[in-house]
Amino acid sequence: MAKLTRLSQDDRENLAAYLDGELDENGTRRIESLLTVSEVARNDVDVLARTYDMLELLPRPKVTADFTERTLVTARQKEHRQPITEQAWFRAAQRGALLAGWGIVILVTATAGYLLSNRAIPREEDLLLQQLPVIQNMDVYLETGNIEFLRDLAAQKPLLEELERSHPR
Amino acid sequence: MVTGAVASSSAYLRDPDVQLMLRVREEDQGAFTQLVAKYQDRMIAVFANMFRDNALAEDLAQEVFLRVYRARHGYEPTAKFSTWLFQIANNLASNSRRTKGRKKEVQFTVNSSGSQPVPAGEQMLPDKSALMPTRQADVEELRERVMEALETLNERQRLAILLHKFEDMGYAEIADVMELTPQAVKSLLARARDQLRIVLEHYVT
Repeated sequence: MAKLTRLSQDDRENLAAYLDGELDENGTRRIESLLTVSEVARNDVDVLARTYDMLELLPRPKVTADFTERTLVTARQKEHRQPITEQAWFRAAQRGALLAGWGIVILVTATAGYLLSNRAIPREEDLLLQQLPVIQNMDVYLETGNIEFLRDLAAQKPLLEELERSHPR
Repeated sequence: MVTGAVASSSAYLRDPDVQLMLRVREEDQGAFTQLVAKYQDRMIAVFANMFRDNALAEDLAQEVFLRVYRARHGYEPTAKFSTWLFQIANNLASNSRRTKGRKKEVQFTVNSSGSQPVPAGEQMLPDKSALMPTRQADVEELRERVMEALETLNERQRLAILLHKFEDMGYAEIADVMELTPQAVKSLLARARDQLRIVLEHYVT
């Protein structure tokens, strides 16, 4: 009975692939078993092969005599008329501009980073400069020996001004 | 990843046509001439059988080579040269089909005896009584039948068949050209061959 059973779509695909040598070892073995038992498969594979061979009859026209020359000339002409964006020098310039652009971006970023870090993060010398008045008066402060007294004194602006006037430095 | 890409690229460097194309990239006009000369008839044969129009086939083939030439500066060997060339041809054929409204799928029409649709190709089958004279038809007539049979396929099936038959491409390479999976190519070709069988089996001697 199996020998006259219609083939499934899968079997039909595998028959064609078998003819084309595109099946793996298992698939090939399966199809060969099928061909052994199925008359339908044997007939199908035979007709498939023979109708496919008929494609040899399809015309294979040759190009006209001047095809090669025309193609080469057209290629060169089109090269001259090529849009500016497709021309080699333009692409090279584009690449150059891109590299230059990146160079500028890196330079600007580096400069900004340097300036920022220079201003935002105080250096040891900056701290010394900021504290210079304290350092200069360090002997007086040490002599006084009382920080509370100095704070109270600092709050007495008119008194300090009077002292400044009477004892200029 | 990069190593893999380099390895796969170098695998194609053994293809002599890839070598020619690399020379085209370096502005070697002679190499381009060699490539055109090598592939022009093959390209025309595929297009001519796709569209049954030799003039159009020449125009399309020329456009394929012009695209190759224009693309030379950016060329990288990521496939066999023929695969890349026929990928361009496939894209061009698709565009041409879209532009000119050439798309022609398998047409199903209602037959004269009832409402059952039949594939268009089957309408060409001769009456039983006409089989004997048909079998005696000369090669030219038979060629015409084969061309008509090919026309009953949709264009994807036709291209797959032509690449397989004319270019000896395997399923994997056809898949690369047509941007399909090998399994899809297997189905496409099986259906195409089945359709050809239906249309042509009465002419098999």
